[in-house]
Amino acid sequence: MRNALAIARKEFRGYFTSPIAYATIGLFALIFGLMFVAFLRFFMEQSLRAGAGGQMGMGGPQTVNVNQMLIRPLLLQASVVVLFVLPLLSMRTFAEEKRSGTMELLLTSPLRDWEIILGKFFGAAGLYALMLAVTMLSVVWLFIYGNPEWRQVLAGYLGLLLLGSSFLSLGMFISNLTQNQIVACFITFAVLLLLLLLNWVAEFAGPTMREVLTTLSITEHFDDFAKGVIDTRHLVYYASFIFFGLFLTSRSLDADRWRG
Amino acid sequence: MIEVQHLTKRYGQTTAVDDVSFSVAKGEILGFLGPNGAGKTTTMRVLTGYMPATHGKATVAGYDVFEQPVEAKRRTGYLPETPPLYPEMTVHEYLTFVAAIKGVPPASRTRQVDTSMQTARVTDVAYRRCGALSKGYRQRVGLAQALLHNPEVLILDEPTAGLDPKQIIDTRELIKSLAGDHTIVLSTHILPEVAQTCQRVVIINKGRVVAEDTPDNLTASLAGVEAIYVQVDTGGGDAAPVLQGVTGVVRVVGTEARDGRFSFEVHSERGHDVRRDLVSAVVSQGWGLLELRPVRLSLEEIFLQLTMEESESDAARAASSRDSDGVASEASSAADSGAQGGNSDA
Ligand SMILES: Nc1ncnc2c1ncn2[C@@H]1O[C@H](COP(=O)(O)OP(=O)(O)O)[C@@H](O)[C@H]1O
Ligand SMILES: [Mg+2]
Repeated sequence: MRNALAIARKEFRGYFTSPIAYATIGLFALIFGLMFVAFLRFFMEQSLRAGAGGQMGMGGPQTVNVNQMLIRPLLLQASVVVLFVLPLLSMRTFAEEKRSGTMELLLTSPLRDWEIILGKFFGAAGLYALMLAVTMLSVVWLFIYGNPEWRQVLAGYLGLLLLGSSFLSLGMFISNLTQNQIVACFITFAVLLLLLLLNWVAEFAGPTMREVLTTLSITEHFDDFAKGVIDTRHLVYYASFIFFGLFLTSRSLDADRWRG
Repeated sequence: MIEVQHLTKRYGQTTAVDDVSFSVAKGEILGFLGPNGAGKTTTMRVLTGYMPATHGKATVAGYDVFEQPVEAKRRTGYLPETPPLYPEMTVHEYLTFVAAIKGVPPASRTRQVDTSMQTARVTDVAYRRCGALSKGYRQRVGLAQALLHNPEVLILDEPTAGLDPKQIIDTRELIKSLAGDHTIVLSTHILPEVAQTCQRVVIINKGRVVAEDTPDNLTASLAGVEAIYVQVDTGGGDAAPVLQGVTGVVRVVGTEARDGRFSFEVHSERGHDVRRDLVSAVVSQGWGLLELRPVRLSLEEIFLQLTMEESESDAARAASSRDSDGVASEASSAADSGAQGGNSDA
């Protein structure tokens, strides 16, 4: 585990040696902020119209509204943005080490494969967590000027973290298939988009098929988190997804080794 | 300290390493000599646990590199062909990271990093980015990396490749100074390198070991293959069968006939001087002996010949165009058998 941490630390720092970390954090915070402002304005208009004469702004009784009409759609939108941003974090994990030959250092050091994989995963997930933490600054506003349900906010962020970590685990596997970061980025992006499309396909599918597709769909499981519900089924789903992604990574690492 | 037994590695259809066996004693420096594509890097990658062998077995410090990779890797320092540096890290950051993944306990990390920087003489660039270093410094940082956890075994893949002459000398001195405490395998395609640095040489070509001995013995035993250059004027007939018939002659390499003058290289058994008999054979045929002189093979030539063996067709093509190449191609077989003779002596 100490080895995994050493790698995680190296990965995390590595993001900051290139503009990647600043670019992704900045981009994500910016988009999140813009969405936040848009939803906030929409929400204010709605509540002004609804609360005619009564309370202005976000009063206590409107707690449910803040959560349902502002936070939930905001987090759902954010989950889509995450899909666009995370391939930028996962793309370099293995592709870059293979290209530069440093994979040879890792693979000839007294490390187990899972230490390398977990280290890289935690490094990337750490940066992603930081990215999410920055967006919390806008959410803090809501707490200053209103009274939203903090459990829901936390559940939503937990959901985002799990969702993104699933993306990362898959992205790491794809990054291990190529020596080219950009290729890894595009393939990861395409695969994630396909996963997202499963949702839309489900809309038009028959009942059984819809059931299957929505169970598989990676974003479907996020909705409950956005609502503020932490359901074990969803936790298990994401945990399995992450495990599966890391497992594929470890298989492909081993396959590379045999191929030479 | 290192045992390699019947190691074979295939990449799909290509056999990169073919049934290679050798061993390295504790404290020894073994030179792994061969032309590009001989299979040096592949062998080293198997030894360091980077990839498994297709067949065969390798143990480092008593641990099977495939069965107990972590134990074996703990005791191995490896400098790959291109030093595995992270361009964005400073040398110090890099070595500290390497110390962590090599399992150096946190308490002694600072000291080990400093020691390895001193040994590899990179202290003056400690806070420079690895990506900004010159080739010579990169190579040395790579060496510091390999030395960092004070491993029993050092595997160095072409440690002097791409360095200038001064750096090459420094690196060789450094490697020599490390022997004793460390068991070292270094690969090279430069012949003088092994002669100057190594106690023992394994010559590898096309994945096979073609010779194994001390540099001195190699020179002595292989160069000791008595090769005699003979030029005779037969006036027409072929002289080769006659020369072949002389007792003690191993083979006769005919090269070229010009105006009834034949040039041969005659290889004889070691320690068997056939010159007298050759002369009488030639004279008894009534031929003219135009020239007769011993040929001494330099280590360079031996290496060339050993590694040119098996490319008979190439050699044949060369022979038709150039005299000396034809000689070399056949002489190589002789040199090879000489090498094996040398082995049994050792
Ligand atoms: N990853 C690989 N995939 C396929 N063939 C390879 C690979 N690495 C090396 N080879 C082939 O194996 C042979 C030996 O290569 P190598 O071990 O690198 O030789 P050397 O280090 O002596 O120059 C060469 O013919 C090379 O083309
Ligand atoms: Mg090589």
